[in-house]
Formats: sequence, structure tokens, C-alpha cells
Amino acid sequence: MRRHFLAGTVMLLGLTLVLGFGYPLLVTGLSALLFRHQADGSLVYRGGKLAGSSLLSQSFTDSEGNPMPRYFQPRPSDAGSGYDGADSGASNLGPSNALLIGFVPGVNTVGLDGRPSAANPFATRADPACVPTDPKGNPVTSPTPGQRYARNPDGSYVCDPSTVPERAIAYRTFNGLPASASVPIDAVTASGSGLDPDISVQNAMDQAPRVARARHLPAHQVTSLVHRYTQGRQWGFLGEPTVNVLDLNLALDRLR
Amino acid sequence: MSAPDWEQLIFIAAVTAVAAPLLGRYLAATFRGTGASQNRAPGDRVFLPVERVVYRALRVDPESSWTWRGYALAVLAFGLLSTLALYLILRLQGLLPLNPTHAPGMSPLLSFKSAASFITGTNWQAYEGETQASYLAQMAGLVVAQFTAGAIGLAVALAVVRGISGSARTIGNFWVDLTRSLVRVYIPLSVAGALVLVSQGAVQNFSGFRTATTLAGGTQQIPGGPVSSMEVIKLLGTNGGSFYGAGGAHPFENPNGFSNMFDLLLVIVLPFAIAIMFGRLIGRKRQGYAIVAVMAIIFLGHTVVSMQAEGHGNQLLPASVSQVASGGNPGGNMEGKETVFGPGGSALMTVGTMGTTAGATDSALDSYTPVGGAGAFVGILLGEISPGGDGGGLYSILVFSLLAVFVAGLMVGRTPEFLGKKIRAPQMKLVIAYALTIPIVVLVFGSVSLVLGAGTRSILNPGMHGLSEVMYAFASVANNNGSAFAGLSANTPWYDTTLGLVMLVGRFVPIVLALAIAGSLAGARVHARTRATLDTSGPTFGVFLLGVIVIVGGLIYFPMLILGPIGERFVG
Repeated sequence: MRRHFLAGTVMLLGLTLVLGFGYPLLVTGLSALLFRHQADGSLVYRGGKLAGSSLLSQSFTDSEGNPMPRYFQPRPSDAGSGYDGADSGASNLGPSNALLIGFVPGVNTVGLDGRPSAANPFATRADPACVPTDPKGNPVTSPTPGQRYARNPDGSYVCDPSTVPERAIAYRTFNGLPASASVPIDAVTASGSGLDPDISVQNAMDQAPRVARARHLPAHQVTSLVHRYTQGRQWGFLGEPTVNVLDLNLALDRLR
Repeated sequence: MSAPDWEQLIFIAAVTAVAAPLLGRYLAATFRGTGASQNRAPGDRVFLPVERVVYRALRVDPESSWTWRGYALAVLAFGLLSTLALYLILRLQGLLPLNPTHAPGMSPLLSFKSAASFITGTNWQAYEGETQASYLAQMAGLVVAQFTAGAIGLAVALAVVRGISGSARTIGNFWVDLTRSLVRVYIPLSVAGALVLVSQGAVQNFSGFRTATTLAGGTQQIPGGPVSSMEVIKLLGTNGGSFYGAGGAHPFENPNGFSNMFDLLLVIVLPFAIAIMFGRLIGRKRQGYAIVAVMAIIFLGHTVVSMQAEGHGNQLLPASVSQVASGGNPGGNMEGKETVFGPGGSALMTVGTMGTTAGATDSALDSYTPVGGAGAFVGILLGEISPGGDGGGLYSILVFSLLAVFVAGLMVGRTPEFLGKKIRAPQMKLVIAYALTIPIVVLVFGSVSLVLGAGTRSILNPGMHGLSEVMYAFASVANNNGSAFAGLSANTPWYDTTLGLVMLVGRFVPIVLALAIAGSLAGARVHARTRATLDTSGPTFGVFLLGVIVIVGGLIYFPMLILGPIGERFVG
């Protein structure tokens, strides 16, 4: 046994040296020689200053946290408090969780007394799946009889804004789409990393008229820019077609 | 499933069908015989001098070959040493150099679980890679563990093959097998694979966080790190542990559709090649391909079901949200998935690795539909043999094969025989212990966690999905998979302790049992094949083996699946 421990110790020290230091340094050196831009993180500069990475989504919100109409908006994010490059991650909400899908009768709907219910007592006209919030803005998925709720001026419940039905409503309002318009799924769901740099082509096309209005540009100029920044499937079948939000927004800013 | 989904699946199948036999031939040429002066192998001119230096430093005689006990002791001694070393690195990373992100030392329990997790190839991560692990810990601690975990699996498989088929009473030399695996397989493939990943956009630098001024005027931290060098061995060694918290979903690890499929190939080609190597080493190529066929059928089963379910989408979402795939919309269940992978590509990569010990994910499993998540569950619960971890997949399916010939032997009333060796009571006791170890720890620890507050407080999602979170955690770590229904907050004293222990049991008990089975067959008389010998390389045996795997491996978990994903599918 002592023999094994001796050999094991030498092996481990050697491997730490060779695999722990030599190997990553070799790969780093070769990468710097061959693929410098990628190895550095596909960084994007504007006016000489680091503006982000083509591979990481960033938020396009004003100082009050509202999405800026003049920029294409990325997908919702659950990385930290949103688009946090130091805290990648997903919502991990299950497919029947009320925080994701809202209250769906027969699945997760709960009455004011906290018991399963056949109808959603918090439904509003705009959102039949409404999940109410408490006065602090936290969603309430298991109501109790004494629970207090946040209300709108008209008396209706304030709904948790991050369920898919609520995000769909906000997306239509923001982009001036009719209430019947179908919303692309990627626009109302968070990605696995929370840093998804891409949106779907349909999502970009739905946003294009709004961006054109905010920038006083002809609509066709913005849509043709979207087409130019649409990445098809690699080799025709690998992955999905995408539009890179940061690259597209940088191109928009350059139009001036 | 959309047409591009099928195309991606066919692409994976085609590349594997070409690459695995080539790699299998190379492996067989490399690992023929025991000891270092084996037959001449490809690349000897480059590799042999390096290996000689290693043997001299270790003071081992590369020509010596040991009994199974000696082999198992060496594996355990090396495992113990590596665990201790990794524990110390994680505890002390705050004081050590190469820590540009200022990660503090991990707590004792988290260090224990993380060390156990990486040494066993589980790679369950209950920390955020960006901020809670230093560059040094990732490079010199975790990456080294990832290399050795893969190489140990391959080494044990080689020893098991020698015991089951060979005529010698000894089964090889662990240090030689480990060295040759690393020098001739893992290191060259890793360097090449890492460069491919960097070319696609995976990062590889030492810059720490860089602060960017965003277009909207805010700031964003851009992470860095030696990521590609870890990403490639995470996959090639069927480990699964990522540099960043989001794992393979992070664009800096897995930037596009090509890298997504390349990642999957890095995981599955080597285990398939090891099965083909087995056939060549025992001089019965058909036997190797029979095993490959069983592995491939199970792989296609759980992967296609999952791709289908994820592409179909979440039926509980309102109809006004468009989940139908079209040219401009990926459609499907996109919660927790990247746009560029789409629902089909995500399920292909994520669930495709669930039949291995990698459990590498490019999407959030907790947000999968019940059927999609069940695909991942099934891949793990069948014992990870589709195609399995490096080496682990082979020795697991060989143990199942012994069970299958035993059951078949009972049916026709003959003494069961595998590769010409009689299978008797001593072997069968070990086989049964092997088949029961993992189900017992999964079901016992999982059930206890469901009745203890310490277990249930960590659950994120309510109802049946919450049960799946807990049971999946134990199934995953016991099989050294390491993927998670990540809503479960697993960095608690209860889960750090139990999951850490279950990983160690799930790794080392099967290794010791497999070596013991090999040892008990080593040197046994090889009987000539007669017309009455059960053919173990034809379709009949393949179907029979498949049945044994599903019944023995799967049925034991059936009540749990009813209460978890199946119930959720029909109620939710």
C-alpha cells in the first residue's frame, strides 16, 4: 500500500505540473497565436472603449430600468439581477410553475383561501393567468386568507411581470402589436445562461418597426439591416438562424 | 422534430459511425497486451520516451502485472490522494496565487463535495464558477481531476477486459494504464479539441473580469479564464463540470450550433470507440459491435423522445405565444435554452450526454417539459451505458451482459458462459451487488431527503416537479452524471454531505466490484465454442441484453418515475 501512495503522490504532483499548468498555458499560447479575437472573448469596442462582447447579451435599458425603444431588446435574463456577466444562470422554473406560466386552471391555480381552484380569482381582463404580487412586489403563488395584495388604481390586481403571459402582454404593448398578435417564444423566455446574445429572426422583425419609429428611420432601412445581421444555420443545418442583438444595435448607432 | 433537428441527429450518427471505429482501432493497437512493452503501438517514437520518464519517476516496473486486489488498491489510493489534494486547493484558493476574480476559499463541506464530485467524474457543481472558484483551482485542481477521472475509467475498463477474456491470472498495471491513457489519448485529443472550440469563440485567457461600458451607458463585467482547456476535457473525459455557472449554455464555452454538436461528439465518440476496442482486444469484433448496437439503441431512445418533447413545447403556455417552429422562430420549449441551439439541438446535446457520466448540459434541465426531462432521467437510471462514461460504460454493460447470460442460461438450463468462461455463483453474487448498489443508495437517500425538512427546504419548484428535483439529484450523483434539476439549492449541509458520500459510493464501489468480477474470471479456463454455446454477439443476445437492462435497471425506479415526471405529465 505504501508503494501505491508513493507512486500516487509523485503522479499527482507531476500531473498537476503538466496538466494543471503546462497544458492550459500551451492552449492559451496557441490560441493567442491562431485565434486571438475569439480567445479574448470576441470583444467589441466603440470609440476605443470596451463596449461588451458579441457573445454576451447586455441590457438596453435607461437609467430607470425601462427598455429603450431605439435599441433592439435581447431575451429576458436570469443571470444575477439580469445580464450579469459575473453570474450566469437560468430561472430553473419547472414547466408547470406558476412563476413561469402564470395560474392555469386545473394545474396550479389557487383560490383566495389557498386551496386549489377551478378559476383564477386574480384574473384581469388583459391577463387571465395573472399571479398577484404583495405590496412589496413579490409574487404570491400560495395565497393565505390574511394575505395583502398590490392593486392597480382601477382596483385590479398587480400581476407578477415575469410570467410568460405577462411578458407577452408587455412585448405587444412595447412593440405596438395588436392584442391578438402571436409572440415569438424566445422573446418571453429566459435563456439557460441569461447571456444569450441572439434573438430569433421573427423577434427582430417584430421589433424593427418600433426601432424605426424611435429613430425616425424608414422601416425598410431597419429591416434590411436585420436581414444583413441574420446568421443562418452553420453549414445549413447546425443550430438555428439568429440575429445578434449587440452587433445589430452597434450597426444602428453607426447609421447616424 | 423539425427537419434540421433530424439532420443534426443524422450528422451526429454519421460522424460517430466513422470516427468511433477509427478511434477504436487506434485504442486497440495502443492497449493490446499488458505491461509497457506491449506490441508496437502507433506513435511509439513520440510517446514511449515520455512514458519511460514517468515510470522512472514513479519507480514502477512497467512490465509487472497485478492481481485485481493490487489494481483496486492502487485505484483507491490514487483516488484518496487526489481527493485530499483537491480538497486542500479548494479550501485554500483564496490564499493561493492566480486568483484574479478574488474567489474566497470554499467552506469545508462545499470543498468536500466539490472534491468528491470532480475526483469521481461526477462534476456536480454547487458553486458559481465565475466568482467562487479561482483560476488556479480550476486549472490545477479541477482540470487535473477531470483528466484523471476519464483516464481511470479507461484504465479500469482495460483491466476488466483482461480479466474477463484473458488467460493470465493478473489483470494489468494501473500506473501503466493510467499513463498510457493520458499520454496517448487524452492529452493529444484535448489540445486539438480545445483549439477547435477557441476557433468558434470559446475563450482562453487570463484576464479576469473586464469592465465594459454598455451601449445604454451601464457597465457589464466580461468574464475570462482558461475556459476552452477545461471545456474540452470536461467533455472528452465524460466529466461535465464547467468553468462558468451556466455550463455549456454559456456562450463563452459553447458559442454556436457547430460547437454544440462538436461538444456532443467529444462526449460520445470515445465511449463508443472503447466498446469497439473491446471487440478488437478479445479478437471478436462482432462482440464489440453488438455492445455498440445496444448502446446506440438506448441513446437514440432517450434522446429522440426528449428532442420531440422539447420541440413540441410547453402545452401549458397560452396559444398566443408562438411555439411552432418556422424559419424565423425556433419554437418549442425555449425556457432555459439558447436561441442558437433551439429546442431540438439543446435536447440533442443535453440528453445525448445523459447516457454518459458527463451529464454536460447546454440548457436548464429543470425547465424541460416532463417528457423531455424524463428522457434525461432514463438515460441516467439505465446505468449510463448509452454509451456510458469513458470505460465505465463498457464495464457496466459487461456486468449487465454477465447477468443476461445468466438469465438466458437459466431459461435453457445450461451453465451460463461469456466469452468461453463459465459464470458461476461467486461471479453472480458480485454481479448482483453491482446491479443493486446504485438503486439502493439512490432510493434510500432520495426517500429520506423527501421526508426531512433539511431535504425538502431546498426544493424550488412545487408539486411533482419538486420530487423530480430531489430524486434526480441522487440518481445523477450516484451514477456520477452530475447534471441537475438545478432549482434544488444543493449547497446545504444535508446535501453537501449526502451527495458527496453518494458520489464516492457510486464511483468506487462499482469499480471495486467490476475489478473483483474480472479477478474471479482471470485465468479461468476458456471453453471452446460448440454448437450449443449461446452466441453473445448476435441480434438475439442484443435484444435479450436490452431487455435485461430495461427490466433490471429501469423497473426498480418505476414507482419513482410515476410520482415524478410521468405524474407531472398527466396532471400538469
